[in-house]
Amino acid sequence: MSLSADFAFTQGSLQDYADCARRFELRFIKRLRYPALETQEPLQFEKRTRQGVRFHKLVQQHLHGVPAEALTASLADDGELAGWWATYLARGLTGLPAARYPEITLQTQLAGRRLVAKYDLLALAPGGAAVIVDWKTGARAPSKAYLSGRMQTVVYRYVLAQAGAHLYAGESIPPERIQMDYVFVAAGGARLSLNYSAAQMGEDEALLSGMIAAIERADAFALTDDVRRCRFCSYRSLCDRGAPGQLEEFDLDEYENEDEEEALSLDFDQIAEIEF
Amino acid sequence: MRAPLDAKVWLEGMAGCGKTTVGLSRVIGLLERGAPADSILIFVPQRSMALPYIAALRGRQAYRGGQVWLQTIGSLSLRMVEMFWFLVAAEAGFKRPRELPNFLSLELVQYFMTRAIEPLVDERDYFASVRIDRPRLYSQIVDNMNKAALVGFPISEIGSRLKAALANGVEQAHIYDDAQTCAMAFREYCLARNLLDFSLQLEVFRDYVWATPQARAYLRGRCKHLIVDGVEEDNPASHLFLSDLLETCESALIIYDRDAGFRRFLGADPASARRLRDSCELKATLDETLVMGAQVTALGAQLAAQLGASVAGEGDVDPRPALIAEAQRYHPEMVDWVARQVDMLVNERDASPNDIVILAPFLSDALRFGLADGLARLGIPVRSHRPSRALRDEPAARTLLTLARLAHPRWALPPTDFDVVFALMTAIKDLDLVRAKLLTEMLYRQGRLLPFSEVRSTAMQARVTFDLGERYDRLASWLNRYLEDERSDAIDIFFRRLFGGLLSRAGFGFYADVDASNTAQNLVDSARGFRWSLDFMRRYEADIDLGLDYVNMVDRGVIANFYLRDWIADAEEGVLIAPAYTFLLNNRPVDYQFWLNIGSEGWSRRLYQPLTHPYVLSRGWTAGRMWTDDDEQHLSRETLGRLLLALTRRCRKAVYLGYSELSESGYEGRGLLLETIQALLRRYARAGQHV
Repeated sequence: MSLSADFAFTQGSLQDYADCARRFELRFIKRLRYPALETQEPLQFEKRTRQGVRFHKLVQQHLHGVPAEALTASLADDGELAGWWATYLARGLTGLPAARYPEITLQTQLAGRRLVAKYDLLALAPGGAAVIVDWKTGARAPSKAYLSGRMQTVVYRYVLAQAGAHLYAGESIPPERIQMDYVFVAAGGARLSLNYSAAQMGEDEALLSGMIAAIERADAFALTDDVRRCRFCSYRSLCDRGAPGQLEEFDLDEYENEDEEEALSLDFDQIAEIEF
Repeated sequence: MRAPLDAKVWLEGMAGCGKTTVGLSRVIGLLERGAPADSILIFVPQRSMALPYIAALRGRQAYRGGQVWLQTIGSLSLRMVEMFWFLVAAEAGFKRPRELPNFLSLELVQYFMTRAIEPLVDERDYFASVRIDRPRLYSQIVDNMNKAALVGFPISEIGSRLKAALANGVEQAHIYDDAQTCAMAFREYCLARNLLDFSLQLEVFRDYVWATPQARAYLRGRCKHLIVDGVEEDNPASHLFLSDLLETCESALIIYDRDAGFRRFLGADPASARRLRDSCELKATLDETLVMGAQVTALGAQLAAQLGASVAGEGDVDPRPALIAEAQRYHPEMVDWVARQVDMLVNERDASPNDIVILAPFLSDALRFGLADGLARLGIPVRSHRPSRALRDEPAARTLLTLARLAHPRWALPPTDFDVVFALMTAIKDLDLVRAKLLTEMLYRQGRLLPFSEVRSTAMQARVTFDLGERYDRLASWLNRYLEDERSDAIDIFFRRLFGGLLSRAGFGFYADVDASNTAQNLVDSARGFRWSLDFMRRYEADIDLGLDYVNMVDRGVIANFYLRDWIADAEEGVLIAPAYTFLLNNRPVDYQFWLNIGSEGWSRRLYQPLTHPYVLSRGWTAGRMWTDDDEQHLSRETLGRLLLALTRRCRKAVYLGYSELSESGYEGRGLLLETIQALLRRYARAGQHV
């Protein structure tokens, strides 16, 4: 069994492969959907995940013209979320270029495959800065070195450089103009900025092409040796790798389950599939 | 194809002439010319019609940039209402405008409809004379509300419109009054709780969201290039929206199939679609078939002509070589005959299984199974396609539901012995029916599973085997521990805990089983969706037990009665077995078609729907007219004529007719399709005698 012909790589799928090739195989090649619990506190975990989703929606609504007061009024029942929101209003957009594209998806081609990035926000000034903003709602802000190595950083900057010309007056965006900002709204709006360069882009391209090629030619996908990576993996029981981890040890910002996102959005096309 | 890419073009023609191919080349042309992908909106009446576009876009290797939008009126209105909710909720009449909206899936609409109107129906003895089950009855009330929104009249007019055209006597009038009262009661219920069924979602989009400058700026700023395929299958609400968008977009291609409009039961309105023609500066027609051979062309045209349609292409061609039939006495003989003919086509004429479809007006489980089994025995791959599939009938889901009942005695819903046997057999790997029955008989007492040590007879213990007994014990003690800990997990969390903690472990039935895992995930999604939409209900009804309600609704066939993820099975290879209209809306021509049960009235008659009516509730209906038997007959002939034309236009080589004197249920069928075909054959037989 191999990847379907129209499979598109994302930062999520590549991070899965980097963490555990077996997880990648189960999720994206065997397409095994597996409902085991990720943590021992499933409802708290769910609450935090849904708060994160709601925060991203609030920002999107705001940037599409819904007045901040109307959105603030909707948060009376959730003090924590209201706090994140207040932080966003105070500092979230400070210094960003004026042309802003929330929740935008870009794609490019690499090693014969589509590579897709879904951004929280792109803020660009043609001829000037091109800033990728990613909102983080986890309690902790990780180190710069850690974030630099995450596939999200690698994929997002690379795809924008390759596929963002139409947002930049039709010109290719020079890598040096690209900046990736992680904004930690639960940590007072701390901002961690990562710059980009042509050299880094070359390295990223080599890394991504190498990973895609390795996946394409693999005939076996090894289970990770690092069992700490299994604590919050839903395939844990299949691999016989112990019990779910504690929520307090879990970094919610690492949880980027694209299946989950799909489940969160109801699809009313089904109305068309039913004859009454 | 040569039309300028910055023009607004109306393209019409019959099926099989390459209209969608033109649409595809236009999308590619726009991208090649440098149009940003996210400025292109492809608008279709239902998702399956977007599949050729998705395949073409994914297959384009060199493409970089944003993503082309693919939307239906349902998906677009959902997105827009969600985005601009806080701008419009108060004005639209919602009682809690500062709280989030709750969008209801179809199954949740049924659930809330049951909660909202069942007390009313019981108390006032509504619909007393209607002999259909409650879920079907409620779904027709929902259908009326959807039609009102799609066509564009207030839901308060549903009853009066139906009565004016259809009421024959006081009893019938009462039924429509009841339907009206229930629709209004449901709408009030939804407005009070921020619930949005499809009809309300569409009304909020059309009447409120689309009126805001923010929403208009967003959509008009984004949608510069519009491609609409299958516009005749869409509804007036879509047409109104598209008409507005046409004013501001830079280019458009609107594709219209002349003899279609099959989704009338979902508000399809070809006449309304045609009005968009005036908004396009270029008009083009494609009428040369790229699909049918001359005999199939003649077959479609002559059958349609017999039913009163005027169709080009009838000509002098004798269609009989494209029509293969053999009468059988009994239904199973017909199924066998079909399997043998498919086998012959695949193995003797090198036909691809992908180029063969087997169609019936309705597809019963028995017919589907008979065909799939017959073809599988001949080594021919099969894919089946039908709108709904009961999740609760899947073994993994049944097992989880039975175990949930065992773990929640407070629900007072102890499973039957039969269900426990089935659950044990599915949950414990290698446990056979005989041992599962033994365990149930010996250890299932008063709604609980006793430990294996309660089996006193060593002979009986040995018969079950200690290995299976040990695994049974792990299951029983997991459930009993859950009970003793007095846990009250949400039902979806219970399923997940049981799945991850036990059933997916080595030695248990779901271990490394892809189907079981996927089914379990579907059940979890369904139960979680139910919980998320109902959590807020505790404000109104503090004693609501979501787990109990969920299981009850599953039992009644309201919830988990179908699941969307299983619908998307289009990429599979094999002979397609499907209801005729499902095949049409997939819009893919094939070499050979089998039309089964041609004696069935189902080919031409509408479904029995005593509470609704697709024509009377359509935009084209004249107020004050009565719907007569003549109208019904005319409609049957017109419907069948269109259907046969549409089917033959998606057929390259031949049509095989499956006919048995006695139908699946043992009756002789003399439906309009059979009559029409016999008349055609008689005409040729008479002409032959004169030669």
